Amino acid sequence: MTKTADDSRLDAKARPAFTRRGLGAGILAAALCLGPLAALAQTQIYDARTKKWVNYDKKKARQYFARNNQLPEAFRRQVVTFRTAEKPGTIIIDGNQHFLYLVQPGGQAIRYGIGVGREGFGWAGIVRVGRTAEWPTWTPPAEMVARDPNAAKWAAGMPGGPDNPLGARALYLYEGDQDTIYRIHGTVEPWTIGLDVSSGCIRMNNDDVIDLHSRIEIGAKVIVLMQGAALYKGV
Amino acid sequence: MDEGILRMKGLVLTLAALAALSGCQSSQPKPEDMARTSLQTAPADLQLLCAHAVAGAAQVDSAKVLPTSSRALDAASYSVDLDAAGRKFTCVVDTAGSVKSVTPAG
Repeated sequence: MTKTADDSRLDAKARPAFTRRGLGAGILAAALCLGPLAALAQTQIYDARTKKWVNYDKKKARQYFARNNQLPEAFRRQVVTFRTAEKPGTIIIDGNQHFLYLVQPGGQAIRYGIGVGREGFGWAGIVRVGRTAEWPTWTPPAEMVARDPNAAKWAAGMPGGPDNPLGARALYLYEGDQDTIYRIHGTVEPWTIGLDVSSGCIRMNNDDVIDLHSRIEIGAKVIVLMQGAALYKGV
Repeated sequence: MDEGILRMKGLVLTLAALAALSGCQSSQPKPEDMARTSLQTAPADLQLLCAHAVAGAAQVDSAKVLPTSSRALDAASYSVDLDAAGRKFTCVVDTAGSVKSVTPAG
Protein backbone atom coordinates (compact mmCIF):
# COMPACT_ATOMS: atom_id res chain seq x y z
CA MET A 1 0.00 0.00 0.00
CA THR A 2 1.31 3.43 -0.84
CA LYS A 3 1.65 5.58 2.21
CA THR A 4 0.35 9.12 2.02
CA ALA A 5 0.38 12.21 4.18
CA ASP A 6 -2.45 10.67 6.06
CA ASP A 7 -0.50 7.77 7.45
CA SER A 8 2.94 9.28 7.69
CA ARG A 9 4.79 9.61 10.94
CA LEU A 10 4.70 12.85 12.87
CA ASP A 11 7.84 14.92 12.78
CA ALA A 12 8.11 15.98 16.40
CA LYS A 13 9.69 19.27 15.40
CA ALA A 14 7.20 20.00 12.72
CA ARG A 15 4.54 21.89 14.61
CA PRO A 16 4.34 22.57 18.32
CA ALA A 17 0.58 22.05 18.38
CA PHE A 18 1.08 18.52 17.14
CA THR A 19 3.82 17.35 19.44
CA ARG A 20 1.78 15.04 21.64
CA ARG A 21 2.69 11.53 20.68
CA GLY A 22 -0.79 10.35 21.54
CA LEU A 23 -2.25 12.26 18.70
CA GLY A 24 -0.26 10.13 16.30
CA ALA A 25 -0.75 9.68 12.67
CA GLY A 26 -4.52 9.92 12.80
CA ILE A 27 -4.71 13.51 13.97
CA LEU A 28 -1.77 14.30 11.76
CA ALA A 29 -3.65 13.10 8.78
CA ALA A 30 -6.68 15.14 9.70
CA ALA A 31 -4.47 18.16 10.12
CA LEU A 32 -2.54 17.70 6.93
CA CYS A 33 -3.77 18.15 3.43
CA LEU A 34 -7.47 17.57 3.82
CA GLY A 35 -8.46 20.13 6.40
CA PRO A 36 -11.53 22.36 6.27
CA LEU A 37 -11.59 25.64 4.42
CA ALA A 38 -10.67 28.95 5.99
CA ALA A 39 -9.24 32.19 4.68
CA LEU A 40 -5.70 33.42 5.33
CA ALA A 41 -5.10 36.17 2.82
CA GLN A 42 -8.16 36.96 0.78
CA THR A 43 -7.89 35.86 -2.83
CA GLN A 44 -9.31 38.32 -5.34
CA ILE A 45 -10.03 38.00 -9.04
CA TYR A 46 -10.59 40.79 -11.54
CA ASP A 47 -14.13 41.03 -12.85
CA ALA A 48 -13.70 42.31 -16.40
CA ARG A 49 -17.40 43.12 -16.59
CA THR A 50 -17.46 45.49 -13.62
CA LYS A 51 -13.75 46.31 -13.91
CA LYS A 52 -13.32 45.71 -10.21
CA TRP A 53 -11.37 43.30 -8.04
CA VAL A 54 -13.75 41.03 -6.18
CA ASN A 55 -13.17 38.62 -3.33
CA TYR A 56 -12.86 35.01 -4.41
CA ASP A 57 -13.91 32.69 -1.61
CA LYS A 58 -15.02 29.07 -1.53
CA LYS A 59 -18.59 29.90 -2.47
CA LYS A 60 -17.65 32.13 -5.39
CA ALA A 61 -15.00 29.69 -6.53
CA ARG A 62 -17.53 26.89 -6.63
CA GLN A 63 -20.00 29.06 -8.52
CA TYR A 64 -17.35 30.13 -11.00
CA PHE A 65 -16.31 26.54 -11.64
CA ALA A 66 -19.88 25.36 -12.01
CA ARG A 67 -20.58 28.15 -14.51
CA ASN A 68 -17.38 27.86 -16.54
CA ASN A 69 -16.20 24.30 -15.89
CA GLN A 70 -12.73 25.69 -15.46
CA LEU A 71 -10.70 27.93 -13.19
CA PRO A 72 -10.22 31.67 -13.63
CA GLU A 73 -7.58 32.20 -16.31
CA ALA A 74 -4.89 33.29 -13.87
CA PHE A 75 -4.99 29.89 -12.17
CA ARG A 76 -4.78 27.89 -15.38
CA ARG A 77 -1.52 26.30 -16.54
CA GLN A 78 0.56 28.70 -18.61
CA VAL A 79 4.12 29.63 -19.50
CA VAL A 80 5.31 32.87 -17.91
CA THR A 81 8.49 34.91 -17.72
CA PHE A 82 10.48 33.92 -14.64
CA ARG A 83 13.87 35.48 -13.92
CA THR A 84 15.84 33.16 -11.67
CA ALA A 85 19.21 31.64 -11.00
CA GLU A 86 17.52 28.37 -10.07
CA LYS A 87 18.12 25.61 -12.56
CA PRO A 88 15.39 24.23 -14.85
CA GLY A 89 13.38 21.56 -13.12
CA THR A 90 13.25 23.45 -9.83
CA ILE A 91 9.78 23.85 -8.33
CA ILE A 92 8.97 27.18 -6.73
CA ILE A 93 5.76 27.57 -4.78
CA ASP A 94 4.36 31.02 -4.08
CA GLY A 95 1.90 30.12 -1.36
CA ASN A 96 0.65 33.66 -0.92
CA GLN A 97 -0.31 34.13 -4.55
CA HIS A 98 -1.38 30.49 -5.10
CA PHE A 99 1.05 29.69 -7.90
CA LEU A 100 3.49 26.84 -8.45
CA TYR A 101 6.29 27.49 -10.93
CA LEU A 102 8.33 24.82 -12.67
CA VAL A 103 11.49 26.54 -13.89
CA GLN A 104 12.18 26.15 -17.61
CA PRO A 105 15.20 27.16 -19.68
CA GLY A 106 15.36 30.65 -21.15
CA GLY A 107 13.98 32.68 -18.28
CA GLN A 108 10.61 31.02 -18.31
CA ALA A 109 8.51 28.82 -16.06
CA ILE A 110 5.33 26.82 -16.31
CA ARG A 111 2.90 28.34 -13.83
CA TYR A 112 0.12 26.29 -12.25
CA GLY A 113 -2.63 27.38 -9.87
CA ILE A 114 -2.58 25.76 -6.45
CA GLY A 115 -4.49 25.55 -3.18
CA VAL A 116 -2.40 25.93 -0.02
CA GLY A 117 -2.57 25.69 3.75
CA ARG A 118 -5.22 27.59 5.60
CA GLU A 119 -4.41 29.97 8.42
CA GLY A 120 -1.88 28.53 10.82
CA PHE A 121 -1.00 25.69 8.50
CA GLY A 122 1.11 27.49 5.95
CA TRP A 123 4.76 26.59 5.82
CA ALA A 124 7.87 27.65 3.97
CA GLY A 125 11.23 26.14 3.28
CA ILE A 126 13.53 24.41 0.86
CA VAL A 127 12.85 20.72 0.38
CA ARG A 128 13.01 18.18 -2.44
CA VAL A 129 10.84 15.64 -4.19
CA GLY A 130 11.70 12.39 -2.41
CA ARG A 131 9.36 10.12 -4.32
CA THR A 132 6.15 10.20 -6.30
CA ALA A 133 3.07 8.04 -6.73
CA GLU A 134 0.41 7.66 -9.39
CA TRP A 135 -3.14 7.48 -8.06
CA PRO A 136 -1.90 7.31 -4.46
CA THR A 137 -3.74 5.44 -1.75
CA TRP A 138 -5.37 7.56 0.94
CA THR A 139 -5.65 6.18 4.43
CA PRO A 140 -8.04 8.15 6.66
CA PRO A 141 -6.80 8.83 10.17
CA ALA A 142 -8.23 6.87 13.09
CA GLU A 143 -9.95 9.98 14.41
CA MET A 144 -11.73 10.49 11.10
CA VAL A 145 -12.62 6.82 10.89
CA ALA A 146 -14.21 7.06 14.33
CA ARG A 147 -16.48 9.97 13.51
CA ASP A 148 -17.16 9.57 9.81
CA PRO A 149 -18.84 6.40 8.51
CA ASN A 150 -17.84 7.29 4.98
CA ALA A 151 -14.20 7.37 6.04
CA ALA A 152 -14.56 4.23 8.15
CA LYS A 153 -15.00 2.02 5.14
CA TRP A 154 -11.58 3.15 3.96
CA ALA A 155 -9.84 2.55 7.28
CA ALA A 156 -7.45 0.14 5.61
CA GLY A 157 -6.75 2.58 2.80
CA MET A 158 -8.74 4.02 -0.07
CA PRO A 159 -7.33 2.84 -3.39
CA GLY A 160 -6.25 5.49 -5.82
CA GLY A 161 -8.93 6.64 -8.24
CA PRO A 162 -11.04 9.57 -9.31
CA ASP A 163 -12.76 9.83 -5.91
CA ASN A 164 -9.57 9.65 -3.87
CA PRO A 165 -8.91 12.97 -2.08
CA LEU A 166 -5.24 12.88 -3.05
CA GLY A 167 -6.14 12.90 -6.71
CA ALA A 168 -4.16 11.57 -9.63
CA ARG A 169 -0.58 12.03 -8.47
CA ALA A 170 1.38 12.78 -5.31
CA LEU A 171 4.86 14.24 -5.00
CA TYR A 172 6.26 13.47 -1.55
CA LEU A 173 8.40 16.27 -0.15
CA TYR A 174 11.51 15.33 1.78
CA GLU A 175 13.94 17.27 3.92
CA GLY A 176 17.19 15.44 3.30
CA ASP A 177 16.16 11.81 3.63
CA GLN A 178 13.28 12.58 5.98
CA ASP A 179 9.71 12.64 4.76
CA THR A 180 8.26 16.03 5.70
CA ILE A 181 4.75 14.55 5.54
CA TYR A 182 3.83 17.36 3.14
CA ARG A 183 2.89 16.57 -0.43
CA ILE A 184 2.00 18.17 -3.70
CA HIS A 185 -1.06 16.24 -4.83
CA GLY A 186 -4.19 16.33 -6.95
CA THR A 187 -7.69 16.94 -5.74
CA VAL A 188 -11.31 15.98 -6.23
CA GLU A 189 -12.27 19.61 -5.55
CA PRO A 190 -10.72 21.53 -8.44
CA TRP A 191 -12.60 24.71 -7.58
CA THR A 192 -10.46 25.06 -4.43
CA ILE A 193 -7.43 26.07 -6.50
CA GLY A 194 -6.57 29.66 -5.62
CA LEU A 195 -7.72 29.33 -2.02
CA ASP A 196 -6.21 28.66 1.40
CA VAL A 197 -7.78 25.29 1.86
CA SER A 198 -5.47 22.60 3.13
CA SER A 199 -3.53 21.97 6.26
CA GLY A 200 -0.17 22.20 4.64
CA CYS A 201 -0.22 20.16 1.45
CA ILE A 202 -0.10 21.81 -1.95
CA ARG A 203 -3.09 20.81 -4.06
CA MET A 204 -3.41 21.10 -7.81
CA ASN A 205 -6.13 20.05 -10.20
CA ASN A 206 -5.56 16.57 -11.53
CA ASP A 207 -4.60 17.55 -15.08
CA ASP A 208 -1.97 19.89 -13.71
CA VAL A 209 -0.48 17.47 -11.19
CA ILE A 210 -0.27 14.82 -13.93
CA ASP A 211 1.53 17.34 -16.13
CA LEU A 212 3.89 18.37 -13.33
CA HIS A 213 4.58 14.75 -12.39
CA SER A 214 5.51 13.97 -16.00
CA ARG A 215 8.06 16.79 -16.06
CA ILE A 216 9.91 16.53 -12.76
CA GLU A 217 12.70 14.30 -11.57
CA ILE A 218 13.08 12.65 -8.19
CA GLY A 219 15.33 14.91 -6.14
CA ALA A 220 14.02 18.11 -7.70
CA LYS A 221 14.52 21.13 -5.47
CA VAL A 222 11.30 22.63 -4.11
CA ILE A 223 11.31 26.18 -2.70
CA VAL A 224 8.20 27.10 -0.77
CA LEU A 225 7.61 30.82 -0.21
CA MET A 226 4.92 31.70 2.29
CA GLN A 227 4.78 34.99 4.14
CA GLY A 228 3.50 34.47 7.66
CA ALA A 229 4.33 30.78 7.60
CA ALA A 230 3.89 28.89 10.85
CA LEU A 231 6.71 26.51 10.07
CA TYR A 232 10.02 26.46 8.22
CA LYS A 233 11.52 23.29 6.75
CA GLY A 234 14.98 22.60 5.45
CA VAL A 235 16.60 25.99 6.14
CA MET B 1 -29.13 79.42 -31.39
CA ASP B 2 -27.78 77.13 -34.09
CA GLU B 3 -24.29 78.09 -33.07
CA GLY B 4 -25.10 77.14 -29.48
CA ILE B 5 -26.38 73.74 -30.53
CA LEU B 6 -23.29 73.17 -32.61
CA ARG B 7 -21.07 74.07 -29.66
CA MET B 8 -23.04 71.69 -27.47
CA LYS B 9 -22.67 68.90 -30.02
CA GLY B 10 -18.96 69.59 -30.22
CA LEU B 11 -18.66 69.38 -26.47
CA VAL B 12 -20.55 66.09 -26.39
CA LEU B 13 -18.35 64.65 -29.13
CA THR B 14 -15.24 65.79 -27.32
CA LEU B 15 -16.39 64.21 -24.07
CA ALA B 16 -17.28 60.99 -25.89
CA ALA B 17 -13.85 60.89 -27.49
CA LEU B 18 -12.18 61.46 -24.12
CA ALA B 19 -14.29 58.73 -22.56
CA ALA B 20 -13.32 56.33 -25.33
CA LEU B 21 -9.68 57.22 -24.90
CA SER B 22 -9.82 56.70 -21.16
CA GLY B 23 -11.43 53.33 -21.80
CA CYS B 24 -8.55 52.36 -24.03
CA GLN B 25 -6.13 53.39 -21.34
CA SER B 26 -7.83 51.56 -18.49
CA SER B 27 -5.58 49.66 -16.12
CA GLN B 28 -7.27 46.34 -16.75
CA PRO B 29 -4.77 43.59 -15.98
CA LYS B 30 -3.78 40.96 -18.51
CA PRO B 31 -5.82 37.74 -18.19
CA GLU B 32 -2.94 35.89 -16.54
CA ASP B 33 -2.71 38.66 -13.95
CA MET B 34 -6.38 38.68 -13.04
CA ALA B 35 -5.85 37.09 -9.64
CA ARG B 36 -4.17 38.38 -6.51
CA THR B 37 -4.40 38.20 -2.75
CA SER B 38 -4.74 40.91 -0.17
CA LEU B 39 -1.12 40.17 0.72
CA GLN B 40 0.64 42.11 -2.02
CA THR B 41 3.92 40.26 -1.84
CA ALA B 42 6.79 40.55 -4.31
CA PRO B 43 6.64 38.20 -7.29
CA ALA B 44 8.35 34.89 -6.52
CA ASP B 45 11.13 35.41 -9.06
CA LEU B 46 12.06 38.76 -7.55
CA GLN B 47 12.12 37.25 -4.05
CA LEU B 48 14.48 34.55 -5.26
CA LEU B 49 16.72 37.07 -7.03
CA CYS B 50 17.09 38.70 -3.64
CA ALA B 51 17.84 35.31 -2.06
CA HIS B 52 20.59 34.76 -4.61
CA ALA B 53 22.05 38.21 -3.91
CA VAL B 54 21.95 37.66 -0.14
CA ALA B 55 23.65 34.26 -0.47
CA GLY B 56 26.51 35.99 -2.22
CA ALA B 57 26.70 38.92 0.15
CA ALA B 58 26.47 36.77 3.28
CA GLN B 59 28.68 33.99 1.90
CA VAL B 60 25.97 31.50 2.77
CA ASP B 61 24.88 28.43 0.82
CA SER B 62 21.88 29.51 -1.25
CA ALA B 63 20.02 26.45 0.05
CA LYS B 64 20.00 28.17 3.44
CA VAL B 65 18.56 31.50 2.29
CA LEU B 66 14.81 31.90 2.28
CA PRO B 67 12.62 34.98 1.73
CA THR B 68 10.28 35.34 4.69
CA SER B 69 8.23 38.42 3.77
CA SER B 70 8.03 41.16 1.17
CA ARG B 71 6.16 44.31 0.33
CA ALA B 72 5.87 46.87 -2.43
CA LEU B 73 7.85 50.05 -1.81
CA ASP B 74 6.37 51.82 -4.82
CA ALA B 75 5.15 50.95 -8.29
CA ALA B 76 8.62 49.86 -9.37
CA SER B 77 10.32 48.20 -6.42
CA TYR B 78 9.91 45.76 -3.57
CA SER B 79 11.55 45.20 -0.22
CA VAL B 80 12.21 41.56 0.67
CA ASP B 81 13.13 40.25 4.13
CA LEU B 82 15.27 37.13 4.17
CA ASP B 83 16.71 34.61 6.57
CA ALA B 84 20.21 33.45 5.68
CA ALA B 85 21.10 30.58 8.01
CA GLY B 86 19.65 32.54 10.91
CA ARG B 87 20.96 35.96 9.89
CA LYS B 88 18.37 38.48 8.78
CA PHE B 89 18.74 40.64 5.69
CA THR B 90 16.65 43.12 3.77
CA CYS B 91 16.91 43.40 0.01
CA VAL B 92 15.46 45.95 -2.39
CA VAL B 93 14.75 44.78 -5.92
CA ASP B 94 13.04 46.54 -8.78
CA THR B 95 10.41 45.13 -11.09
CA ALA B 96 13.02 44.73 -13.83
CA GLY B 97 14.82 42.23 -11.64
CA SER B 98 17.71 44.45 -10.63
CA VAL B 99 18.79 44.07 -6.99
CA LYS B 100 19.32 47.58 -5.66
CA SER B 101 20.59 46.85 -2.17
CA VAL B 102 21.25 44.11 0.37
CA THR B 103 21.59 45.14 3.99
CA PRO B 104 21.69 43.30 7.31
CA ALA B 105 18.38 43.81 9.07
CA GLY B 106 18.22 45.67 12.39
